[in-house]
Amino acid sequence: MAVGEPETQVLGTAPMALGTAGSGPGGRRRGGWLGSGTPTVWFSFGFLGLLIAAVVLAQWIPDLISPELQFGAFHQNPALSVSGLLGTDPLGRSILSEVIYGGRVSLTIAFCATAISLAIGVTSGLLAGYYRGVLERVVDLYANTLASVPPLLWLLALVAATGASLFTMTVALGVLGTGMYARITKAAAISGSDRDFVLAARALGASDFRILVREILPNLVPVFTAIVPAMMAGLIVTEGSLSFLGYGIPPPTPSWGGMLASTSDVMQQFPYMLIGPIMAIVLTVYALNTLGDHLAARISLREGQL
Amino acid sequence: MTGNSTQLAGPFEQDVPALRSMRSIYLRAIGTRLTTGVPVFLLVMLAGTSLSNFMPGSAAQTILGPYATRAQIAVFNAMYGYNKPLLVRYALWLWALVHGNLGSSIYNGQSEVALLAARAPVTFEIALVTMFVSLLVAIPLALFTAMRPGGVTDSGLRAISSFLLSIPSFVAVVFFGFVFALTLKWLPATGWVAFPDDPLQNLRYVALPVICLAINQVAYFYRVSRGEFAATLQEDFVLVARSKGLPIRYILLRHVLRPSQTHVLTVFGLSLSYLLGGSFIVENYFAVPGLGWQMVYAVEAHDLPTVQGILCVTVVLFILIFMLVDIGNALIDPRVSVS
Repeated sequence: MAVGEPETQVLGTAPMALGTAGSGPGGRRRGGWLGSGTPTVWFSFGFLGLLIAAVVLAQWIPDLISPELQFGAFHQNPALSVSGLLGTDPLGRSILSEVIYGGRVSLTIAFCATAISLAIGVTSGLLAGYYRGVLERVVDLYANTLASVPPLLWLLALVAATGASLFTMTVALGVLGTGMYARITKAAAISGSDRDFVLAARALGASDFRILVREILPNLVPVFTAIVPAMMAGLIVTEGSLSFLGYGIPPPTPSWGGMLASTSDVMQQFPYMLIGPIMAIVLTVYALNTLGDHLAARISLREGQL
Repeated sequence: MTGNSTQLAGPFEQDVPALRSMRSIYLRAIGTRLTTGVPVFLLVMLAGTSLSNFMPGSAAQTILGPYATRAQIAVFNAMYGYNKPLLVRYALWLWALVHGNLGSSIYNGQSEVALLAARAPVTFEIALVTMFVSLLVAIPLALFTAMRPGGVTDSGLRAISSFLLSIPSFVAVVFFGFVFALTLKWLPATGWVAFPDDPLQNLRYVALPVICLAINQVAYFYRVSRGEFAATLQEDFVLVARSKGLPIRYILLRHVLRPSQTHVLTVFGLSLSYLLGGSFIVENYFAVPGLGWQMVYAVEAHDLPTVQGILCVTVVLFILIFMLVDIGNALIDPRVSVS
C-alpha cells in the first residue's frame, strides 16, 4: 500500500476480490470517482443534481406555483413560463410544479427506504457472514423468502390488509430491500473475514465488533455506491407502479405514478400532459441506472488493477 | 473433424462422471430446491396468513365495513375464522391445501382453485409469449454484437438497451396504449379473447401487453447474454478454435452459445417467475383478466383468501422454475452438478 493514498484503501478495493486487495501494485487513482465518464454519465450526473436541487429548493424556485394552487386555465398547452412550461392539468394546476413536488415525495421515499434497507440488510449480512452457522441459514432463508415473490406483489398483499399509506409503503419498501443488501454484505463479509488484515487485527486482540465495523465494513463502501443507485431506481419504479395502481401515494399529494394514471384518462385530447411525468420517471431511472453501471464498471476496473 | 480436435472444442466433453448418470442430476436439483423451497413456501404462506393481523381493528369489521352488525361479524368469523389465532389459521390453511382446497373468495364466494385456474392461463400465456419474443430478439442481437465489440452496432444497442431498461411498465402501457391503440388504432386497447375461442383475435389482444412487457425483457436479456458471450469469447478454447481457422460464426454457435447459457437461464428463470406471478400493471391497464388483474381486484375488496391463493401460486411457480433452471444448467454444463 503506497503511502499517501489512504482513499484507495476505501474506494479501491472490491469485496469480491478481497483475497488480493490492499497489497498489489495497482490501486492507482484515476481522476476522481466520476473518472473517464462518457457523455451519458455526465448527463446522468447533471440530471440527478438538477433534480435533487429542484426538489429540495422547490419552494424557492421563482415563479413556480405550488401544486395545491391553480396556476392558469384548465388544460393549458405548454408555454414559455416557469409554471406553464409543461402545461396545466384539468384543474389548472402547473404540471411542472406537480412533477417537481411529486419528485420530492418519490425521492424522499427512495432515500428513507434505502436507509432502512441498508441498516437492517448490512447488519444482518455482516453478522451472518462473520459468524456463519445458524445465523447464516436464517439470513439466507429470509433473503430467499423475500426474493421468491415480486416486490409489487408483496406490497399489494400488504395494502390489501392495511390500506394505502405513505408510512406503510416506505417501511415495506425498505424491508423488501433488506434481503438483497443482506446477501451482498454476507458474501463480502465471508470473503473478507479471512483476509490478512483481519487476521492481523484479530491477532492484536481486536474485538469482533471492531473487526466488523473498522476492518470489514469499510471495504463494502464501493460495492454499495454501485448498487444503491440501481436499487433506488427500482424503488422509484415500484413506488410509481403502486401509485399508478392507486395504492401508493394518496391522491392530493402529487406523484409521478398517480399523474400518469390520471393523465391516461384524458391523453387522447391532451397528449402534452404525458410529457412531464414520463420524462421525469424515465430520465430519473435512466440516470440512476447509468450512474450505477458506471460506478460498477469503475470498481471492476480497479479490481482488475489489483 | 478428428476425435482429438473435438476434445479441444469445448469444456464439456472432458467431464464424463456427470454425464454417466443424468438421473442423479435431476434428483439432486430437485432435492436441493425442495430443501430450500419448502421452508420458503411455508414462510411466504405464513406471511400471507398473517395479513389479517395487519388490519386496523378486527379483520372481520374491516372487511365487512363500518356498518356490519355484530351478528354479521359472528357469521363471517364462523365462516372464515378470522377470530382464531394466527397459528391455528395457518394450520387450517395448510390442512385445507393438503386436500386441494385454497378456500373461497370473500368477494363472491367462488372457490379459489377455480378462480386461479380461470385466471392463471391468461397470465401464463402473456408471460410465455413475452419470454419467447424477448429471447428471439435479444440472443441473435447479442451474438452479433459480441462478435464485434466496440463497433457502432455494439455501442448503439448498448445505449438503446439502457434506455429501454429505464422505461417502467406503467410508462410503457400508457405510451404504447396511446400509440398503438388510441392513435394508430392497430390493436384493441382493452379486453381479452381466450385462445381456444378465437386464436387470431387472441393474438391481437395479447400483442399490446406483450410489447409493454417485452421492452424491458429484451433489453435485460440482451445485456446479460451480450456480457456472457463476450466473456466466453475470451476463453482459451475459443482461442484454440480460432487458431484452427474455424469460421467465427461456427465458433459462436458451437462453442460460445452453450457455455454462456447458464447465467442467461438463471436470469430467464427469475424474469419468468416474476411475470407468471402476475403482470399487475399491464393486466390492469389493458383489462386483461389474469392473475395480476385479479390481485388488484382482491386488494380493492380486502379479499384475503384470493391474495393468499395468488401468493401461493407465485411461490410454487418460483420454486418449480428454479428447479427447472437447475436441471437445465446441469444439462448445459455438467460441471455444475459435480462441484
